[in-house]
Order: sequence, then C-alpha cells, then structure tokens
Amino acid sequence: MSDFLSGFRIGGSGMAAQRARQNSISSNIANINTTRTPEGGPYRRKDVVFTAMPDAKSFGDILSVNDPKADFNRVQVTDVVSDKRAPLLKYDPTHPDANEEGYVAFPNINMMEEMTNMVQATRSYEANVQAIQATKDMALSALEIGR
Amino acid sequence: MSNLFDKTTDALASSIALRQVRHNVTAANIANAETPNYHAKKVDFEDALARALDLDGNNSLSTSHGQHYAVGGKPAVEAGIYENPDIALNNDGNTVDMEREMSNLAENSILMKAAIQLINKKMAAMKYAISETR
Repeated sequence: MSDFLSGFRIGGSGMAAQRARQNSISSNIANINTTRTPEGGPYRRKDVVFTAMPDAKSFGDILSVNDPKADFNRVQVTDVVSDKRAPLLKYDPTHPDANEEGYVAFPNINMMEEMTNMVQATRSYEANVQAIQATKDMALSALEIGR
Repeated sequence: MSNLFDKTTDALASSIALRQVRHNVTAANIANAETPNYHAKKVDFEDALARALDLDGNNSLSTSHGQHYAVGGKPAVEAGIYENPDIALNNDGNTVDMEREMSNLAENSILMKAAIQLINKKMAAMKYAISETR
C-alpha cells in the first residue's frame, strides 16, 4: 500500500490529531477559572490520547494488518481523558461556589504547561504540513517524467 | 529487461519506487511523533535497491544460448521495513527523532527529484536520437 495517496492520508491524520489536541488545549485555557460543569464540580483538564493505526483504505486492508507492507501508521485520537489531579482550593467565602469553610475548588490547570503544549502541537502540525508538501512535490515531479 | 530502456532506467525506476516507500514511512513517523509507545520505522534503502538491481548477479541465471530462457530476471522491488533500534527511548516509549525525520524527508524528496531528472535526461537523449534524421 505504498502510493502517494497514503502519504497524504498519513500526513492528514497527523494534522487532524494535532488539531484535536489544539482544541483540547484551547478548552483548557478557556476554562481555567470554570467552577461549574454539567457533570458537576470544577472543570477538569482534558487531554487527548494518540494511537498509531495501520494505514488502511478498505476493509480488506484492515483484515491484512499483519502484512508487513501495511507498516505505515496513521495517527488517530482514540480518547479524550479528564485529568485526575485534585482541584485547587482557594479561600474566597464570597464566591457562590464556596463550600462551608469558604474554599472554592478551581480547575488544576497550569497556564505554562498549556502554553508549552500549544507550541508543541503547533510545531507538530507544521511538521505534518511539511510532510504533505513534500508528498505533493514528489507526486508532481513524478508527473514530469517524459515531458 | 527491455531493449529500449537500459539498466540505468530500470535502476532509476526502482529507486523512485523505493523513495516512495521511504517517504511514506517518514510521513508515518512524523504523524506519530507524539504517539506513546510508537517505534520509529526505517527502510533499508540501499540493501533493497541493491537487491532490486541484482548487483551481485545472484537473482538471475545467465544465458549462453539464444534459445535459453533467462530465469529470475528482475525481481519485484520490496523494501524491508523495520523498527529503528538506534534511538534512545523517551519517557513515553516513543522513538521518533523529529530532526532526523525532517531531514530524511527533505533528503528523500530531493533524491527522488534527482532520479526523475536523470530519467528525463535519458528520455531527452533518446528523443534526440529518434528525431535526428528528420
């Protein structure tokens, strides 16, 4: 399964995965002070789980995953997990979500951590764009054979 | 092997096919640069190309008579893909070295373009020879 299209598919999967990661980072930054969520309690930091998937374009390909030629792996976001860290307690008795002792549970989100992850996601996205660009260049120059 | 195209053209064609495999492997490594427990893959390009070109002459029987059939001939190009062992593991068990992959990507695409240019030059020479009498 080694045509140029699989290069595009793989690069595209990388871009989609990094975009999903970027979405989770944006959500974390936007909700850094959120104390109410539908499931109750403060917002919990979200993280995406990347899984390497064999690059297959048909059902038959999926059945023959053990084929060594199906060795190119796409990347896929298979899960979005909530962080298990305990919420940060801040003393603010005037806050509507304060408990009996006057403490408010805030999401345990570190802005520095989110910003570093964001830079990393951006760079990885750019690397995938670069890979697709190279695929395109190679495919186009292959079309020039015999011109 | 056809008589119209010589061994060099065959070699260039094999090399382009292998470059494509190598490119896909590199793209897959870049896409999975942050997948936990993913191991970077590598193509043994030179070995595969040497096998495809039959440099040591082991793959085909030679013919000594006009009615002999050449057995073997040009084998299908098949690159061995294996997990790259020579990179230290990160904390998450991922072995992709981004710098190496990006330079592989650039190198691979330049060398593929070089092979295509060489084919084009050969074609141009052939065209020149064909059209010379006109």
